Amino acid sequence: MSRYDIAVIGTGPAGLEAALTAKARNKSVLLIGSAELSPKVAKAHMIRNYLGLPNVSGGEMQAAFLRQMEAAGIKITDERVKNVYAMGDYFVLQTGEIDSMLEAETLILATGLPLSRNLPGEDRFLGRGVSYCATCDGALYRGKRTAVIGYAPKEEDEADFLSELAAEVLYFPQYTGEVRTAPAVKVIPEKPVEILGGESARVLKTDGGEYEVDGIFILRDNIAPDKLVPGLELDGTRVKVTPQMETNIPGCFAAGDIAGPPYQYIKAAGQGNVAALAAVDYLAAKRKE
Amino acid sequence: MVNVIHEAEFGQVKACAAAVVDFSATWCGPCKMLAPVLEKISEEMKGKVDFFKADVDENPNLARQFAIQSIPALIFLKNGEEVGREIGFKPEAAVKSALQRVFD
Ligand SMILES: Cc1cc2nc3c(=O)[nH]c(=O)nc-3n(C[C@H](O)[C@H](O)[C@H](O)COP(=O)(O)OP(=O)(O)OC[C@H]3O[C@@H](n4cnc5c(N)ncnc54)[C@H](O)[C@@H]3O)c2cc1C
Repeated sequence: MSRYDIAVIGTGPAGLEAALTAKARNKSVLLIGSAELSPKVAKAHMIRNYLGLPNVSGGEMQAAFLRQMEAAGIKITDERVKNVYAMGDYFVLQTGEIDSMLEAETLILATGLPLSRNLPGEDRFLGRGVSYCATCDGALYRGKRTAVIGYAPKEEDEADFLSELAAEVLYFPQYTGEVRTAPAVKVIPEKPVEILGGESARVLKTDGGEYEVDGIFILRDNIAPDKLVPGLELDGTRVKVTPQMETNIPGCFAAGDIAGPPYQYIKAAGQGNVAALAAVDYLAAKRKE
Repeated sequence: MVNVIHEAEFGQVKACAAAVVDFSATWCGPCKMLAPVLEKISEEMKGKVDFFKADVDENPNLARQFAIQSIPALIFLKNGEEVGREIGFKPEAAVKSALQRVFD
């Protein structure tokens, strides 16, 4: 497995600019995120304050960004990162199962605005009956009662997987539209409000009732930065950064909405530029040692 | 060194003044990443803290006894008594500071 110089997670303006700058400085870059770029770019109505692109729609901005990536020869690895492991000298990015691991010496986090609202009880019981990954922890719930809270239709697969192991799977879809799960999965269209328990999670409380379970799987697209990168220091919900966009983990940088307000395209891109240059300096210093 | 342990030999762990048991499994990504971190720390703490590793699939009774619900789980023991636990992958600095909190 080859190890990249710089891995960039997120394909909004922060991540794209970081990748462009790193490439211009001749670094090997892994840019990972949606090939359709950020929904916050694509869906904007009219953008009036981005230098060089006056009065464009989000669609036009998206097209311009994609053209520039292509011209620079930057490929987008169209995947979601599930977990990042800071190994000391390098980072490992896990995109799926245990065998899909990618490595890079430095990391730039540009995953956008962190999710601010966890369920009450979620943090307290994480690892004590609350899990973010059915395929990872599912085997520990063999023959047990489980609840799965899915924030997107693709999580139905995780519920199906769990139903092969667990005695019971209650599925709480948090989206509209048809739900297609295996017959063993019981679909309950209610909204979770709290997780209760003692030593470990015991009860999922929703707007419609209370469900006694042994395990609760919360499957969202956007996980908090300190859950994505264990060990990362936050300031409230944003990642704590220096003016050079360094985080508390050596070799790990953050840029854009993830690093705090103001939430603006040009600021995100500017921070992506700073983060990439800081990563380049970090690599140079490390290689001199 | 991190010693692989089976539930039948758990008395060995209980006899240690300070021990860490890593509950993990072969199919678990974060466990695989935590292993080299623990290996390194175990060398640095040689003579102070003993490190063990228990596979949850091979040791279901032990896993149940410690109410393991998510892996990797690091259990800290002093003279056989649990004095703390850390769940999930943690970078080296974070594992070390957790160890210091418990054992220093
Ligand atoms: C409707 C709307 C209109 C706006 N209008 C303006 C405007 O006119 N002017 C202005 O300056 N700002 C505007 N903004 C704000 C602007 O959109 C944001 O500040 C900007 O997009 C932030 O860029 P970013 O790169 O930090 O993050 P984002 O653009 O949010 O991009 C982050 C990307 O990372 C991806 N990602 C997250 N987690 C992972 C993971 N684990 N693995 C892989 N990928 C991941 C996300 O899917 C997303 O594509 C607007 C926002 C909205 C919603």
